[in-house]
Amino acid sequence: MNLLNNYFLNSAFLAQTPTDGVDPSAASQIVLQAASVNVWTSSMLVPIVLGAVGYMLIQHGVVKSKAFLGGGAVSLVLAVGFALGFTPGTFESYVLMSFCAVATGGGIGFLTAREPVYAALGFATAVLSVCGVLFMQSALFIAAATMIVYAGATIIIFLFVLMFAQQTELRTYDIQLNNPLVAAAIGAVLLATITMCVTSDNAIMPVKVDSTRAMSAASLPDSLSSEAGIEAAKKLDAIDPALRYVPKLTAGLGRSMYTDYLLAVELAGTVLLVATIGAIALAQRTTETQS
Amino acid sequence: MNETTQNLLVFGGVLFVIGMVGFLTRRSLILMFLSLEMMLSGVSVNLIAFSRHHQNYQGQILAVMVLTIAACEAAIALALVVSLYRRKATLDVAAWDDLSETLIPKVIEAPQTLEEPAMEFPKLTPAGLDPLSRPISANFDAQSLGNGESVKASTLEAGTNA
Repeated sequence: MNLLNNYFLNSAFLAQTPTDGVDPSAASQIVLQAASVNVWTSSMLVPIVLGAVGYMLIQHGVVKSKAFLGGGAVSLVLAVGFALGFTPGTFESYVLMSFCAVATGGGIGFLTAREPVYAALGFATAVLSVCGVLFMQSALFIAAATMIVYAGATIIIFLFVLMFAQQTELRTYDIQLNNPLVAAAIGAVLLATITMCVTSDNAIMPVKVDSTRAMSAASLPDSLSSEAGIEAAKKLDAIDPALRYVPKLTAGLGRSMYTDYLLAVELAGTVLLVATIGAIALAQRTTETQS
Repeated sequence: MNETTQNLLVFGGVLFVIGMVGFLTRRSLILMFLSLEMMLSGVSVNLIAFSRHHQNYQGQILAVMVLTIAACEAAIALALVVSLYRRKATLDVAAWDDLSETLIPKVIEAPQTLEEPAMEFPKLTPAGLDPLSRPISANFDAQSLGNGESVKASTLEAGTNA
């Protein structure tokens, strides 16, 4: 414990966000990233509304021809390419955007598939692409854990249950949906609101590093533990912001998890144990001799 | 960097909305749970984007917690779905509507006040003797009034009216 205390006290920096309510002196703050700029335009509403209308057309069986769907896919690809033309992107940003596009396509396939097995496969596609996005964000552990837990365990077991319950013909509850018009309207309004809030001016606060408050040694990589380190980090940021994270990221995650969030980890383990016991108790088949 | 964060936030919102629309529209139990998992993955993308933006590990640790709870939820949901399927041999969520309150109709109608329709009785011309004002004695003889035929007819009519 004494070792841990010394460890915490020696750390001099942590990421200070303006939402913390603490107003440290301006000299001790180093702004690492500027605030977000306003990129909101009303034309962002167009793909949202078009997506909702297309979803309704598919649900009501208006669009059944594969030519319509192919045309929609081609226009989606063209739109992505058009958007990429404006972005002065690097290779990483292109890979990230393609992962996002594949994940969105998998989600749309999940949403519009009639066969439950195809819907589950679309979900698997979306989850694997989300793992790629997380990997590109240098969240390596989360990406691996998501791949193992979601795509490895959850999808397979859900597919087992689907095929266990699946009949040869489609059931009515797979074809007739609950209120697709209301759901599409709610979804379009929610997505428009999210887009407007995220892309409006100063929606994302600038990131500052406060040198007066020490909270955790694991909050920042070791390269930021001195002024010279911060200068070096800022130079690295000019090249690529991911450079100073990648080597130590998973180690730092484990360090933070087992020092700062030890109680949360223990509680999560307890919840897992309770869920295991509950699942066994629920799935148990009661025999006639017991009753 | 900020553009990446904004793009990822929009992407997380797209995943969340896809999951929400699927949860609202799908009627199969398993696909509803898959929609829930899709919403959770959208939230995880948000957390990771902010973790990278703020350059600390808090968002990633929250994402680990989300993953843990999602695994617990999937295990219990599968056990529930299997035991529900054993009962009714269907995955339709509408088969379990009777778990809700069945006394209340789904479409709430406006309360109706029952009005008693005004009864209209036929108005007859009063005829004959009023037995309340002039009670008829037990030894009443209609022949004593003289005109026997008309009195007999009037008493009969009064009797049917009463």
